[in-house]
Amino acid sequence: MSTLKQVRFGTLVREITMHQEELSYNELAPEIEQDKYGVDLVCRPSKIKLRSIDVYRLAQPYLTVRLIDQVKAVLPLAIYLVLFQLLILRQNVSDSWIITAGLLSVIIGLMLFMEGLKVGLMPFGETIGNILPSKAKLPTVLLIVFLLGIGVTFAEPAIGALKAAGSIVNVEQAPYLYSLLNTWSEVLVLMVGIGVGLAAVLGTLRFIYGWSLKPLIYISLIPTIGLTLYIMADEELSKMLGLAWDCGAVTTGPVTVPLVLSLGIGIATAAGKGRSSLSGFGIVTLASLFPIVAVELLAVFVSIIETPQMIISEAVAMNSSTASLNWHEKTPYVEIISGIRAIIPLVLFLIFILLFVLKEKIRHPGTITYGIILSVIGMIIFNIGLSYGLAKLGSQSGGLVPGAFTQIELVSDSPLYSLMLGISIALIFAWILGFGATLAEPALNALGMTVENLTNGAFRKKLLMYSVSFGVGFGIALGIVKIIYSIPIAYIVVPGYLIAIVLTYFSTEEFVNIAWDSAGVTTGPVTVPLVLAMGLGFGEAVGAIEGFGILSMASIGPIISVMTTGLWIQWKVKRRRESEYEVVESVEGAKS
Amino acid sequence: MSKHIIVLTDVALITCIVQKGSADVIVTAAQNAGAQGATVFYARGGGVRERLGILGIAVEVEKEVINIVVATDQIDRVFEKVYLAGNLDTPGMGFMYVTPLEKAATYIPKEIENKLANEIKQSV
Repeated sequence: MSTLKQVRFGTLVREITMHQEELSYNELAPEIEQDKYGVDLVCRPSKIKLRSIDVYRLAQPYLTVRLIDQVKAVLPLAIYLVLFQLLILRQNVSDSWIITAGLLSVIIGLMLFMEGLKVGLMPFGETIGNILPSKAKLPTVLLIVFLLGIGVTFAEPAIGALKAAGSIVNVEQAPYLYSLLNTWSEVLVLMVGIGVGLAAVLGTLRFIYGWSLKPLIYISLIPTIGLTLYIMADEELSKMLGLAWDCGAVTTGPVTVPLVLSLGIGIATAAGKGRSSLSGFGIVTLASLFPIVAVELLAVFVSIIETPQMIISEAVAMNSSTASLNWHEKTPYVEIISGIRAIIPLVLFLIFILLFVLKEKIRHPGTITYGIILSVIGMIIFNIGLSYGLAKLGSQSGGLVPGAFTQIELVSDSPLYSLMLGISIALIFAWILGFGATLAEPALNALGMTVENLTNGAFRKKLLMYSVSFGVGFGIALGIVKIIYSIPIAYIVVPGYLIAIVLTYFSTEEFVNIAWDSAGVTTGPVTVPLVLAMGLGFGEAVGAIEGFGILSMASIGPIISVMTTGLWIQWKVKRRRESEYEVVESVEGAKS
Repeated sequence: MSKHIIVLTDVALITCIVQKGSADVIVTAAQNAGAQGATVFYARGGGVRERLGILGIAVEVEKEVINIVVATDQIDRVFEKVYLAGNLDTPGMGFMYVTPLEKAATYIPKEIENKLANEIKQSV
């Protein structure tokens, strides 16, 4: 006889599913100890012991999210360049291992740098922005904003690309350009910084007084274009115009924009002008126009104190005397030094302001130190990756693309295609590069979201992203045309900005803000070095004097394309309103 | 005739606090376990984070608070699924609790309303 054992179904279900054991929270709560007088001691909970699985679970999402952000920015571009080189130009990638390692260090460097920026530097910006206006008078505030503008320029990762570009320039063909990028390179960055600083001051004043952006644009374009025309008249000097216009695009990167903005918005809020919907805009525009004037002024100054012959003889003397580099001019020391020099002065300046001007304590010193160390290490690794990954890859593919339409040494059976087909291939290559790189830029996504909110959905995020990318694509293609036919940059930039002025005049304030700012947003720390190096390599291969100017085309492109799209939307909205109005009128007419 | 509303009883509120960015996982898990919907709001908070040492920086100070209203029969199932989805057994990942609710009201589909009314009529 078998015995039946009875089990409650509920018990079974409980056995095979999860257990919920109960534990009184009173068991976990710490007991408060008292000292001998019977006063409660402050409760200090002990550190938690982590199992290795906990460490993994905590660190894994933290690292992957940040890593993937940078991988997304670098990888598609690199793959595109390599595939283009392999399939269309039928050339192997030389030094492929060095480039891969370089790109890897760009990714890791950017990841560390951005995280360090967020943890270590941004809290300073926010605290100073909030407290400064209440503790200091307006002139002091503006002075600090100005100095900060200079500081952030030195800390901008893309600035390193300019210095790297200096070594490629041929001193005999473009002496002034050579001298600006080599002997004057520190002064050049300083001038760019002064431009950014002035832009930050003016932008802050704009926040406080609620000025319209339009007159500011007109006023800042007058000296920019005026100096361009003046410099163009001098044949030797005109070769540095491309550099000057490119400097504007280089400045507005991941350090400048958030730090200056957080300060400006803090000041405007404290001044009682709360966040209007447009308050974040404008500084980026000015910060990409003023450096152009500053660099142009520097160039005029250099031309007054030095002659081309002097520069050439100096450079020749330099080259023969210093055959071997000093230890601090070799990798990796040069990258380490430049990384420390970029971040530490900015940090010291911020700490100085916080401790001595605002008399505030530094909150969470441990976290801040961690952030600063991280950003310095990130900057160093990024700099190494910049020279060995981005710059190398960019100049390599830039140097090979002309093989499609003309005979160059590097490509054995060049020209690969007929002249027309080859040039069109080069242009399509440039267009896709610009379009893709811009579409992938994370800052553009954020801008798109803001714009959609600002215009109540009239300007869709997708539409903005596509029109900006379209503009950049055409800009870069135009830049390539400029280098192939060595068209003076002023012939393109001056009419371009004149069109922009006309469009500005007809557009509403909102669209003017959006369009002019979108130009600055597009040029991130990955695009700038890559495009810069590509242009220089391209220019070298076709025998052009200088390969600068592509970035400035990439700035003017989106301004025009976004403003045109804006006008089209304005017209569409107006027409819809009118037709609704007519319907209402006709209905009312029928009623009466 | 005066207006009437249907009031739901036997409801409970599950509140889950996780790092910013993790709410989507929680909401999906809760909905898969039968919860109707969820409300997310943003907050700041800490506690365990400060006791983790260097790994504390991996934990966001900004949090998302997810409110999920469930029927009392659903509490355990949703509670467990959310606990697992949020990896709440890892320090610093978050905290959750259940609160009893007295009553709740929301949209109730017309056909269900009619069905319930018929049942009441039959029982009378």
